[in-house]
Amino acid sequence: MSQDDDKWGIAHVHASFNNTVMTVTDLTGAETIAKSSGGTAVKQNRDEASPYAAMQMAESVAEEVKAAGITGLHVRVRGPGGNLQKSPGPGAQATIRALARSGIEIGRIEDVTPIPHDGSRAPKGKGGY
Amino acid sequence: MKIAVTGTPGTGKTTATELLRSRLDSRDSNEDDGSLADLEVVHLNRVLEDEALYTDVDADRESKIADLEAISEWLQGRESVVFESHLAHHFEADRVAVLRCRPAILEQRLHDRGESERKAHENAESEALDVILSEAVEEHGLESIYEIDTTDLDSEGVADELAAVALNEREPSAGEVNFMGYLT
Ligand SMILES: Nc1ncnc2c1ncn2[C@@H]1O[C@H](COP(=O)(O)OP(=O)(O)O)[C@@H](O)[C@H]1O
Ligand SMILES: [Mg+2]
Repeated sequence: MSQDDDKWGIAHVHASFNNTVMTVTDLTGAETIAKSSGGTAVKQNRDEASPYAAMQMAESVAEEVKAAGITGLHVRVRGPGGNLQKSPGPGAQATIRALARSGIEIGRIEDVTPIPHDGSRAPKGKGGY
Repeated sequence: MKIAVTGTPGTGKTTATELLRSRLDSRDSNEDDGSLADLEVVHLNRVLEDEALYTDVDADRESKIADLEAISEWLQGRESVVFESHLAHHFEADRVAVLRCRPAILEQRLHDRGESERKAHENAESEALDVILSEAVEEHGLESIYEIDTTDLDSEGVADELAAVALNEREPSAGEVNFMGYLT
């Protein structure tokens, strides 16, 4: 398949302390192609439940996305996902892996986590990517 | 006892710890409250400004980039202290209170405090994604975290919760709110 035949979209992954949700849009961000209903419920064991639930969520979104003719996704991750040692956190990583496994090509992965600030902020790498 | 009070800007840290301060001041010294009697309340944002404990400036966010090591040194030797800031969880503490607030309400509080739209929004997004809670758990472990949802509390109620943390009258908790609805 040539580059021209590929249709690309953006996967917006929101990874909070105990939840991972994803919205897939076109490249402009204006049109929503698929939307997940949310990875895990509140108060589940985030270390185990979260990546697994995120993976399941990503698998079902991947089917919708492929049905819409999307072959590749750039990924924008927002949120620490309960693990700041690794960026992206486990929920977002599981999501990206699941998308790739379902045959979707993964393009640029960007971390756009917001930074709490109030006249001061933490240096990068210490919270604040 | 060192207590860090952290939370996204707008969750009410400064207001609640000022109330806590005045309660401590008005305490009868004969009361059996050994653990609270000599607690000093420190507002780290003011310390950062007054002592120039920053390394750089983030012009986009009109924010000074904190010198965490220098602030940590400044805190050294203060053994009986409540220190509040959205950076408080980056420092050594026995207990870490994490104030939370539903993002749309937090955004409104910041607007009302006179903050820019952009600042109010990025902080509300941070709150929706549990950014500070996640950092606090990462640095201190679940057993030291005391999450306080201030959405439906007035500042007196928040000060009550902080006093309960200081007096060891409540259990640690984290991740009991879900604010992701703000993002969609
Ligand atoms: N519990 C509360 N309920 C409603 N409004 C509050 C509460 N606590 C503080 N506020 C208001 O919200 C704004 C932010 O409070 P502030 O104490 O400055 O927060 P922080 O220090 O966490 O940034 C202030 O305008 C304050 O008057
Ligand atoms: Mg403050």
